[in-house]
Amino acid sequence: MQILRPGEVKIFRGTFNMLHVAVPGDELYRGVFAVRAFPVKEGMKYISLFCHDDEDKVREIGMIEDLSQFPPEEQRLVLDTLAKHYFAFEVVRILSIKRLYGFLFFEVETEQGPRSFTMRWEHTRTLDFGDRGKVLLDVFEDRYIIRDISTLPPRDRELFTRYIFW
Amino acid sequence: MEERPACETVPSRFSIGLDALGIRKEDVLLWLTADLDLSGNPADILVVATSTRLVSVTTDGEQVGIELVRAESFRVRSTVGSAFLQARVDGWYVDVARFTNSRRHQFVKMVAQLDNLKAGRPVQADALHQPHPLVCPVCGMARISETASCRRCMKQGAVLFRVLGLLRPHLPWVVAILVLMVSGVGLSLVPPYLTKILVDEVLTSRRHTDWLILVVAALAGAELGRATLNMTVGRLSELVGTRITFDIRTRVFAKLQELSVDYYDRNPIGTLMTRVSSNVEAFHGFVTQAGQGFLVNVLLILGIGVMLFHIQPVLACYVMIPIPFVVFATTFFWRRVYPYYARLWDSESKLHSYLSSVLSGIRLVRAFAQEDREIERFGAMARYLRDSHRRVGLSVGTFNPMMAFLFGLGGLIVWFAGGRHVLADRITLGQLMAFLGYIGMFYGPLSSLTLFSNWFTNFVTAAYRIFEILDTEPSLMDIPSARPLPSVKGAVSFERVTFGYDQYYPVLKDVSFSVEPGQMLGIVGKSGSGKTTIVNLICRFYDVQSGVITIDGVDIRQFRVHDLRRHIGLVLQEPFLFRGTVAENIAYGKPDATYRQIINAAKAANAHEFIMRMPGAYDTMLGEQGAGLSGGERQRLSIARALLCDPPVLILDEATSSVDTETEEAIQEALSVLCRDRTTVVIAHRLSTLRNADMILVVDDGRIVERGSHTSLMEARGLYWRLIMTQTRLTAIDALS
Repeated sequence: MQILRPGEVKIFRGTFNMLHVAVPGDELYRGVFAVRAFPVKEGMKYISLFCHDDEDKVREIGMIEDLSQFPPEEQRLVLDTLAKHYFAFEVVRILSIKRLYGFLFFEVETEQGPRSFTMRWEHTRTLDFGDRGKVLLDVFEDRYIIRDISTLPPRDRELFTRYIFW
Repeated sequence: MEERPACETVPSRFSIGLDALGIRKEDVLLWLTADLDLSGNPADILVVATSTRLVSVTTDGEQVGIELVRAESFRVRSTVGSAFLQARVDGWYVDVARFTNSRRHQFVKMVAQLDNLKAGRPVQADALHQPHPLVCPVCGMARISETASCRRCMKQGAVLFRVLGLLRPHLPWVVAILVLMVSGVGLSLVPPYLTKILVDEVLTSRRHTDWLILVVAALAGAELGRATLNMTVGRLSELVGTRITFDIRTRVFAKLQELSVDYYDRNPIGTLMTRVSSNVEAFHGFVTQAGQGFLVNVLLILGIGVMLFHIQPVLACYVMIPIPFVVFATTFFWRRVYPYYARLWDSESKLHSYLSSVLSGIRLVRAFAQEDREIERFGAMARYLRDSHRRVGLSVGTFNPMMAFLFGLGGLIVWFAGGRHVLADRITLGQLMAFLGYIGMFYGPLSSLTLFSNWFTNFVTAAYRIFEILDTEPSLMDIPSARPLPSVKGAVSFERVTFGYDQYYPVLKDVSFSVEPGQMLGIVGKSGSGKTTIVNLICRFYDVQSGVITIDGVDIRQFRVHDLRRHIGLVLQEPFLFRGTVAENIAYGKPDATYRQIINAAKAANAHEFIMRMPGAYDTMLGEQGAGLSGGERQRLSIARALLCDPPVLILDEATSSVDTETEEAIQEALSVLCRDRTTVVIAHRLSTLRNADMILVVDDGRIVERGSHTSLMEARGLYWRLIMTQTRLTAIDALS
């Protein structure tokens, strides 16, 4: 595995505003995107950079062990590209949950505003997010994260855990 | 189709943005709205395509714009939780718009229309605005899959009617159950009335003291009769219920055998197993519940109501006072407690799965000395189960006494109001006693009936799932003019075949090749390159999306599927053996094979020797999946099975991948016999298997990137050569170690 070290690689924006990575002794990679190896537990560490080769196949350029060691501008660029790879609604309040026809109908408050969504009431539609959080997958595979259930207001938590107990 | 602008439907809030870009609404050929900006913030974005441009526009102005003439292609790129519409420009993919997964389906369609636009073909703007296939077009509620019916729109009455139709073959029994049930309810009403007579005529007035023995005997007779009737109804319900369950289960399984392979791709095996096992059981429950629960309760409530009002209408009205509380408390309890029950079932299932997994992997646990850790994990599971149990127990433990109190309250009301009636000589003490007897039987059925709608909804859902299978038409059916295929020479040809399990994501792209009768074709490539898909298409487990596959020069869709598959032998990496004797397993595809044919096939497959070493030889009973045999032995049995059918086209899909080298040699020897004089398609992980192939296809990312004989491909020093070199090195390391 090639480790990408701060100072050795150069990360910058280039053509079409795409992320570029120059690796000494290697080549200049364009259209780079980043993926976290531990998206739940290590947001700033073990980040792989990928690009597409001439045959349009995904190829791993290397891995950043600790992004916080990189210059701030390069950190920002990698975080921007990470933001493009991950998207979820961050739930802060559970307003109501109705159970009907094998579905749960949620009304929630998210950091992105109020949302309603429907999910199948099955354990396969709920993923653990670390030790304390949950990710809910709605019928369209949109993701709703509750990072720490214990931080929900008591009424919301009771309502949530009544149905999401897996 | 003629191109027509989609201008009339473009949301007016984007007028300013479009004007700013100089795009008139009538220029818009395709449009969709995206709900995220490129950074992932919620946004209202319009994506429009005109005949010259693809742009994403906010309500204020342009976000991204691409000249169509510069765009080489388009795609939807999925990331975690969202997706991007991208255009390839100068060899690079440029993000045009971002959206949540709920809109992905529409943008995938847009890509197809953009390809049409780019190629100068007509576009269908309306195709983009069809409702999402997961959403019911009638009520807008989500469905569990694209083909599933909407549970809200599901007509419960129609399902019930259909269920009743299933009872028709058992009509005499059903009528008998109904008659006995009504008689049972009638008998249940007798004891309180006899109590009245006992109190009024014998104990208090002493008018008929000689009736004492008679009334007690009548009470005993009524109880005995009721017990006998209940027992008979119970037994008959079981009889009818099990018969119906058997019929339906058999029909569902037969239907599952009929359905195409893609049905199994869409529906997880676990779900189908649940339908055949648990959902079918709901029909049994229906008969039992209808016979002993719902109808009995309804008749009891009606009968008791009539008796109460007959004895004393005013007092009967007092009895009704607790009814709203009983109904409300039961409904509230069930709504509240049902999730706790679901949690309890889940915790039981999790503990069961955990035990099954850890006990079967006990050697691994020991080898890594992880006993303490597993004890801790088990403790967590056991705690989860304990807590779930406790929660249900506490709820039920609270609810039942509360209900008992409510029921008791009804009794107290009758004691008080009835007592005053007795003291005022408006009713007799016997009538009061009868009243009390009746209300003892009144609130229980009422509480049960309150839960009936829950039970009924669950039953209808289960019944619907069963009907869903029974009503599903196989997606791959014979065309009306399909012809029989009595014999096959074995020429197989792919002509520009493109196919994807999801039609938007082709797995095979423009694949063409042909094999002459009797030739051996090798297919190699990395995992996921599309090798097995080629095999699936030859067997016509799926139909191609474009191109043609022919056998002996005729499109395989022209033949009856069943006939086609009869001429194709398939040996898979994981041989499928079922519970039965060795001989039965070998003769699976040809049940009328003679013993001599079975033995000859086993001998040719190098299986005869190990079979004869077993005490039961060919009569040895094998466990599920061939338990008791080694991987190589199972594989040789499956080769013998293919050999016995003598198919003109034989497919070996990684047939020797999971066995050791020595076993592989034995299998290779068997295969050399099997492949003789027949067209053979071999997918091989071990490339040495393919040295003698007439042609080898090297598949990569759904395309054939190299083709030729082993020698010519080695000389070409391409991907095949690299694969061989890698494998040679690995073999050398193996040999050294």
